[in-house]
Amino acid sequence: MLRVRENRRELSRRVEIARIAVGTVFALLAIAYWFIQIVRGEYYFALSENNRIRSVKITAPRGYIFDRGGVALVENEPAYNLQLYRREAKNLSGSEEFAVGVLRLPPEQVHARVERALRYPEFVAVPIAENLGLEEVATIEARAPEHPEFAVAVSQRRLYAHGVVAAHALGYLAEATADQIKASPDGYAMGDWIGQKGIEATYEPLLAGVNGERRVVVDSHGREIAEQNQIPARPGQNLFVTIDLGLQRIAEEYFRERVGSAVVLDPKTGEILALVSSPSYDPNWFTRRVTGPEWSGLLSDPHHPLQNRAIQNAFSPGSTFKVFLAYGALALGLVDPEARTFCPGHATFYGRTFRCHKKEGHGWVNLRDAIKVSCDVYFYNLGHRLGIDRIAEIARGFGFGEQTGVDLQFEKSGLVPSEDWALTKRHARWYPSETISVAIGQGPVLVTPLQLARALSALAEGGRLPTPHLFFASQDSRTGARLRYTVETKPGIPLAAEKAAIVKNGMWAVLNEPGGTAYLSRVAGLDAAGKTGTAQVVGHESGVSARGQYEDHAWFIGFAPVEDPQMVVVVFVENGGHGSAVAAPLAKRLFEYRFGKKTEPPPPSAPGLVRASNPARKALAPAPDRLPRAEAQ
Amino acid sequence: MIARVLSARSRFDPMVLGSALSLSLLGILFVASATAGGRLAGLAARQGIWVVAGIGLMFAAVLFDYRVLLKISFPIYCASLVPLLYLLFFGERIANVKSWIRFGGFQFQPAELAKISTALLLAYLFENEDDGRLRPAAFVKLGAIVGIPFLLVFLQPDLGLALTFLPLLGVGLYFGAMPWKWWLVMFLIVVLFCGGAWFLLKDYQKQRIGTFLNPEQDLLGSGYQVRQSKIAVGSGGFFGKGFRSGTQSQLRFLPVQHTDFILAVIAEEWGFLGVILVLGLFAALLLRALTLAQAARDRGGVFLILALAGMIFFSVLVNASMMIGLLPTTGIPLPLVSYGGSSVATTFLAIGLILGVEYRRFANA
Repeated sequence: MLRVRENRRELSRRVEIARIAVGTVFALLAIAYWFIQIVRGEYYFALSENNRIRSVKITAPRGYIFDRGGVALVENEPAYNLQLYRREAKNLSGSEEFAVGVLRLPPEQVHARVERALRYPEFVAVPIAENLGLEEVATIEARAPEHPEFAVAVSQRRLYAHGVVAAHALGYLAEATADQIKASPDGYAMGDWIGQKGIEATYEPLLAGVNGERRVVVDSHGREIAEQNQIPARPGQNLFVTIDLGLQRIAEEYFRERVGSAVVLDPKTGEILALVSSPSYDPNWFTRRVTGPEWSGLLSDPHHPLQNRAIQNAFSPGSTFKVFLAYGALALGLVDPEARTFCPGHATFYGRTFRCHKKEGHGWVNLRDAIKVSCDVYFYNLGHRLGIDRIAEIARGFGFGEQTGVDLQFEKSGLVPSEDWALTKRHARWYPSETISVAIGQGPVLVTPLQLARALSALAEGGRLPTPHLFFASQDSRTGARLRYTVETKPGIPLAAEKAAIVKNGMWAVLNEPGGTAYLSRVAGLDAAGKTGTAQVVGHESGVSARGQYEDHAWFIGFAPVEDPQMVVVVFVENGGHGSAVAAPLAKRLFEYRFGKKTEPPPPSAPGLVRASNPARKALAPAPDRLPRAEAQ
Repeated sequence: MIARVLSARSRFDPMVLGSALSLSLLGILFVASATAGGRLAGLAARQGIWVVAGIGLMFAAVLFDYRVLLKISFPIYCASLVPLLYLLFFGERIANVKSWIRFGGFQFQPAELAKISTALLLAYLFENEDDGRLRPAAFVKLGAIVGIPFLLVFLQPDLGLALTFLPLLGVGLYFGAMPWKWWLVMFLIVVLFCGGAWFLLKDYQKQRIGTFLNPEQDLLGSGYQVRQSKIAVGSGGFFGKGFRSGTQSQLRFLPVQHTDFILAVIAEEWGFLGVILVLGLFAALLLRALTLAQAARDRGGVFLILALAGMIFFSVLVNASMMIGLLPTTGIPLPLVSYGGSSVATTFLAIGLILGVEYRRFANA
């Protein structure tokens, strides 16, 4: 009995200890909860809000692009895209199988996209496929219970209404690359579309608008329960480009089977009325995502369809260079326009014989006639007299060797050779005999079609160089507020109108006098001026057959009307042969379209007429055509 | 007899009874909140039925002389193991675990009842073990009494439920006065065994054991569960977001929130105050139970109270700790509060037995 009581005392002691232990444990638990709920309370509250509130981006509708007359070139249309929410996926290979099996997507594409999804947090929706058909959308919706990880998102797809037309000017949309995402301060995210090349790229900020945001309350499955608030998207601005769809189409049509480029400029404003680079591509390929074969086709094409030949490739200007040389020599007072040079069909400089394109020679020619018949010997002599550095000075005065400043990316600046250039770049002295070649636009001198168009604008319009541009106007689709382009010109080489008229008259004769190199491309009733050019790909002396890829490049440059130029045309046909035969006919069609002339050209009205020098006519001439800009107001 | 019960109303310990009833009412309330508007709506009513049934069981237990129960505790114990064995061979798997028996529209976990019978047998063992220190024979008996049901539940496999048998072992060893040297030896053996096993097993084997022990752990990722639970608890702050206004619970970010994670719901909606209320009620119940243990008239009664209170304490401690990531999630419910009929009913049964010991403190029969 005694022992029992002793043991109860020991037991009681142990219960006392247990009581303290239990009390302590509860106190510690309370402290732990205090720490989480009070000390760290705000932190966890923020996390719970973060759980509950999800920000959903509202993509701003991208601005449309219209031609100068208001014809839609680029629009948007709805598209259905497949998205993967990795957080909801039970097993990714099963999801992949579903996408491949049920939607019949290419397995490599699905796999690559799923792989890419692994680089992003689980809750980010990753695009798996674009532009689903309605049947596919229905299938996905029907199978949603088994595959909650897939969702169909509706987005806007860019639609290039005229396909390949003006592709190089417009550019295209593609998913932002990792570098673009990193570089953009406004924060492009994966899967965002961004303008690549063309005006889609140049005016990306204007076209893209500002994305909005919806803040929604979601449950643990990400299902939307309610909307908290919404910041609406600000749609992108609609853009009007300077392109005249009619001119553009005619030029595109002409280049369907040819390789090359054409540029039509308004010489007064620098507005690009048409810009063609051939071969072209369909920008819609990129919004549908380029398929493998399409990509390799684009990349392996020896003619590089993605390149914009009007600004990204520089070529020898050939004989078109002569008119700038003539103009420059007149401005420098280094040539008497009436002085005649005898052309026997060849000339010898520095112990080397240079041939004229006309074997039997042009006989005695003055400046005007030398332009009209494109006499090489005349310009060999002129070039010889000027020397390479003065030729370079003239060329730079016309903006060669520098970017035109056009609102397109990746513009090349071409090349104007000089003695300095030879020393610094070639590490050799300039060979004087090269000067003779440069005088007829051969040798190292390289120009882009757009540079040539700008230079011709200066020649036609009193020496000032307009900055070529595609931006015409933009309009905010909500407020209606408009932005307009402010015309920009650079000083070039000034020349008295009557001296300039000599060059222009020679160019007029090229088209309008029998014997002119482009007489066959004259437009009845229109005083157009021009100059053909044929740039050798290989020297005549090389012995290589001038066929195929060694065939000469054909040039034609021209403007009209002579006394009040409203349109400058540059046509370049790669390996096309003679400019007169291959390049000039497109200029003719463009002039005809622009000035509403008949196709069949009757003979010239009054040979030798120098309209530009007629002050009376000039006074009567209509005001410069600024109608498009008036429209923009 | 009824008259005797009624006249003896004052002999029901008000603190234990009051705490238990309050906790079960809180449970119904927050099961309602946690299941509101979803496919689980209506569970609060079921919980109410279980609470009522549990209260009935509790009074029945008070009326039934615990000393009689102790005397027949061995047959009771054996009988309670039968369904566990049955389950092991014929049980149907629910959530990958064979621990439920269905009858009617209800499911029941026989392991819950086995805990009570094990506690009874333990008390019976120690009624006659009063050597002043634990004898080796008693040690072996204790190990067998707790070890058998532990193993049967462990093989279901339900680690969480099996673990709730362990406090019985602790109660027996500690209050049975096991010498401290044995504790040391036991500790070393456990450390060596676990360490050696971990060292010898290959990775995939460890993983298999992990999934075997806790099949639910990878359904959503236990890291995710604990994180959401901590967010729910922490975001409640001092006053909470208000009843049925917890975003973590109402938007279902919390896992199994009406059962294992009910305390997180309370913490989110009623804040630190709610937590203090729940912990305070449990503390009151358990500390009072210890007082009743000291006052029990015989050694069997002392150990019965200690064993039952020990199990409740263990569950509260583990559950409240896993809510805030102090312990891994093991699927142990919060007694009386979490949704679940077997747990509620058997906890009330345990409370009834505790009250019964106090009720018969001065009885002579």
